[in-house]
Amino acid sequence: MRAKPSRAPMILWQGLLGAAFLLFWQAGASLGILDKFFFSRPGDIAARVWQLFAAGTVWSHLAVTLLEAALSFGIGVASGILAGFVLARNHFLAALFDPYIRVANALPRVVLAPIFLLWFGLGIWSKVALGVTVVFFIVFFNTFQGVREVDPVIVNNARMLGATERQLIRHVLIPSALTWIFSSLHISIGFAIIAVVVGEYLGASRGIGYLIAQAEGVFDTTGVFAGMAILAAVVLLVGWGVDRLERALLRWKPRAAASREVA
Amino acid sequence: MSNVTHQFAGYTAVEDVSLSVSQGRFVSVVGPSGCGKSTVLSIAAGLLAPTSGSVDVLGNRLEGINRRAAYMFQQDALLPWKTVLANITLGLEFRGMAVEAARGPALEWVRRAGLEGFENHYPHQLSGGMRKRVAMAQTWIVDPDIVLMDEPFGALDVHTRLRMESEILGLWSGSGKTVLFVTHDLEEAVALSDEVVVLSAGPASRVVGSYAVDLPRPRNLIDIRTDPEFNRIYTAIWRHLRTEVLKSYAS
Ligand SMILES: Nc1ncnc2c1ncn2[C@@H]1O[C@H](COP(=O)(O)OP(=O)(O)OP(=O)(O)O)[C@@H](O)[C@H]1O
Ligand SMILES: [Mg+2]
Repeated sequence: MRAKPSRAPMILWQGLLGAAFLLFWQAGASLGILDKFFFSRPGDIAARVWQLFAAGTVWSHLAVTLLEAALSFGIGVASGILAGFVLARNHFLAALFDPYIRVANALPRVVLAPIFLLWFGLGIWSKVALGVTVVFFIVFFNTFQGVREVDPVIVNNARMLGATERQLIRHVLIPSALTWIFSSLHISIGFAIIAVVVGEYLGASRGIGYLIAQAEGVFDTTGVFAGMAILAAVVLLVGWGVDRLERALLRWKPRAAASREVA
Repeated sequence: MSNVTHQFAGYTAVEDVSLSVSQGRFVSVVGPSGCGKSTVLSIAAGLLAPTSGSVDVLGNRLEGINRRAAYMFQQDALLPWKTVLANITLGLEFRGMAVEAARGPALEWVRRAGLEGFENHYPHQLSGGMRKRVAMAQTWIVDPDIVLMDEPFGALDVHTRLRMESEILGLWSGSGKTVLFVTHDLEEAVALSDEVVVLSAGPASRVVGSYAVDLPRPRNLIDIRTDPEFNRIYTAIWRHLRTEVLKSYAS
């Protein structure tokens, strides 16, 4: 059996892939194979990102987007975990809500955005509401599944050892569901940011999504890509933070199962 | 337990099983695979409510979990997210003991189970035999009146097994605890027990025989297997068990 490739070379390969991609893009646009007007150039985009940060205008937009994403993430995760636990432990409620949850989850969120704009106005709360509708369901389904899938032998063992319902939740159900909850956190962080940016894009006066919409309005592709680059960096950074947290909380897992191979 | 019948969704696992174990006795249950040994044990533990019949524990009708009993499961039942020490401490913690107060007795059990140096390991970092020893410490630390064990040594090699069998006997003798021990290994059953109960092949398994094993104690588990009296009892039970095993093959 061959050993798993170690960490450092993989980062190298990942960096090389990105660099090659950017190089071809830059070369293609400079040589006229790609139309600069539609595709811009990585160099120009980098310069624009630098400019945005140097001028300081981007900070307040970034802060608004991050605040919205953090709020929708926080509210969505908390309510998703709570609802997941309650329904997983109560078969009557689970059966009662089942069809409604399915229907609600099937609604396309983009369609909800204008309605939330009407309900909550142009400020941050319409975006937060949109983000929550996305995050909630991801976390809810994963928590529900995680609690339901807990090994019954381990539950029985804890009960025989004298665990009360509360001790059972704390020592068995939560740790067991954590694996599932964490895999949902990775996905829902990305989705929270996407949702609030879409919300901003459709109607706002601030935020990265608003910046992108502005740039698009004047056919400034470099500006659009610059906004996307900033978003990508933020998503990577936050994802890395969740990874660290996961590794700390899921120390008990065999290494291979706990670390995700491809983000 | 008297006249216990249990059905799983239409399948009758055990039917009309009556079994009485006096206090302080070591009783083994043997029978063909899948006959319902684990089911009987789970009913005694109160984890399964029998479809009909009842269980009495030390004079009281059993309802819900059997609080006087500890249960060592056939499958791996350690909490994978807790260290060896935390797993062993669990029973005391659940009984309301402060974690610091429980630490002393837990460390004592770590030592008894020969797990020194592994206190902070997680179950997946241990060998199968070590996990069984943790499970043993986890069940015995709560000082139960009744110990239920379901093929605790099924998957272990001969040497580890012999060691752990001796440890169990050492823990049990003089403790006054009642042990109900499930195994598919008749030799083990005879070597350890005061009494061996034979279950018939499933479905609708029932008690078809009960044999007293009045070999003197303390027993030397290595030498006992060559004892003529041991072999007489073993052969008698085996004749009976064999027909049940053959039946279970036939169906
Ligand atoms: N939860 C369940 N649902 C349906 N059938 C079950 C369930 N648990 C056990 N059974 C059935 O009941 C019968 C008895 O099972 P049990 O686990 O008690 O057997 P066993 O004697 O312990 O077997 P082994 O020696 O292999 O451990 C089996 O035929 C099994 O298929
Ligand atoms: Mg079994």
